Amino acid sequence: MRTVRLLLFVVGSAATAYGGWLLFPQLGTALPWLIGGPVLHDVLVAPLVGLVGLALGRLVRNRLRLAWIAAGLMASATLLLIAVPLLWRPRSAPPNPGLPDRDYPLGLAVGLAVLWAAIVVVLVVATTVDRRVTDRRTDRR
Amino acid sequence: MIRRPRVPAPEDFTAPSHSPLVTARLGLWLAVAFGLCFGTGLLSHYIQHPPGWFTWPTRPVNLYRVTQGVHVLSGVAAIPLLLAKLWSVYPRLFVRPPLRQPIRLSAHALERISVLVLVCAAFFELVTGLFNVAQSYPWGFFFPTAHYAVAWLVVGALLLHVAVKLPVARSALSTPLRRRRAVRDAAPGPDDPDSAQRRAFLRTSAGVAGIAVLATAGVTVPWLRRVSPLAWRSASGPQGVPINRTAAAARIAVPPDWRLEILWPGGRDSLSLADLAALPQRTAELPIACVEGWSASAHWTGVPVVELLRRAGAPTGRPVRVSSLETDGLYAASTLPAPHARDPLTLLALRINGEQLSPDHGYPCRLIAPSRPGVLQTKWVARLEVLR
Repeated sequence: MRTVRLLLFVVGSAATAYGGWLLFPQLGTALPWLIGGPVLHDVLVAPLVGLVGLALGRLVRNRLRLAWIAAGLMASATLLLIAVPLLWRPRSAPPNPGLPDRDYPLGLAVGLAVLWAAIVVVLVVATTVDRRVTDRRTDRR
Repeated sequence: MIRRPRVPAPEDFTAPSHSPLVTARLGLWLAVAFGLCFGTGLLSHYIQHPPGWFTWPTRPVNLYRVTQGVHVLSGVAAIPLLLAKLWSVYPRLFVRPPLRQPIRLSAHALERISVLVLVCAAFFELVTGLFNVAQSYPWGFFFPTAHYAVAWLVVGALLLHVAVKLPVARSALSTPLRRRRAVRDAAPGPDDPDSAQRRAFLRTSAGVAGIAVLATAGVTVPWLRRVSPLAWRSASGPQGVPINRTAAAARIAVPPDWRLEILWPGGRDSLSLADLAALPQRTAELPIACVEGWSASAHWTGVPVVELLRRAGAPTGRPVRVSSLETDGLYAASTLPAPHARDPLTLLALRINGEQLSPDHGYPCRLIAPSRPGVLQTKWVARLEVLR
């Protein structure tokens, strides 16, 4: 394992140095976009996720329901993130035929609606099945 | 009781999603996604800037379409995986540095720096890639070179990170996720709730990555074209194919006496559009596969480049430089490597889907070759030059 780690260390350092050397001429303009991600995430996004998680844990006591609502929120956030460049477009080039080729706000809204409808269906089915199982168990006793 | 607000410590985060068992698995998945992204990205870079040792096959004709589709879709899948991974390790941000022990402190500092480089570079690649596919450039740097350079930073910092974390990751990956509660009366007990939540978090992360891919895969997977709400392109557009650069944007004015020039060491020839149309035509179904990951197939009709050269008496089996009427711009010319230049499916197309090429598609004629990035399929062709 020691050799593997050493090899990874050497190759990794070389690749990082090469990347840094390639990026160097553009470092000035790229730097804000390099630093921006982690700063935004660590200072804003992650604490927000933590707070939402805490609040959700207080509001929803049922474990299954909590898991599915959390999953829905994660999926919605991801879809919203992916949609940002399609919804917010500072034009840097003349528009091209065939781009953008659909109604993105409508598509996003429909996508989110389908997602949450699916989650509601899953929860209703799961709750019904759960109740039946519990009923059967109480009948048997 | 009033608690004074303070900086949290790693122990304050008790959710099962912060377990190393989760982190290691997310790390492995993310490594696969980034690995695919890097491999296919490197291929695309080499196809556009081929080093001497590099060759790229012409078959299957959809090869570049597939590799570049994998490139953008693995990048899309990496977005939720990266966020889940960062959430899993978020408590580690608050580890207090071992200030009193200089050796451990320097190791700690080195690890933090390598992780910082990795996270900066990973965010940079995903964010710039996502904006690039939407052809939106809200920054001052040149996207292709910056994206390529930072890819090496990601891979380098990732390898360093693996070197540091290998023992932890190995033991975490060899520990099964499912753990039963202590067995009380010989029968297996119900799931340990922490273990169930760890698995739920992993399942959700994988599921969200799948949803993200489904929401965008319509750019290149034909049967998802109308399903993906966030596909940045589809197969629609003038004459059935989208356009990246219009004739107006390229400032193209086709002269009335346009002729195709063919040059080779020791000879030259030229043909009018009527001459070209009078030659035996070949129709082929070939994709336009853009570096931005979208792709669309069309039926192209024209004269195979190899036939043109043969008829003119020019040597075949050599690289051919294809120049456009476009005078400036990065993609005004491209070089067909020898395997592509002698491939009978490499066409100088005059027609698309049965119609004459529109000005935006490259009238009077354009290059269309199998398994090549769209930016190298030169439009408004003015000259073919056989290189040595």
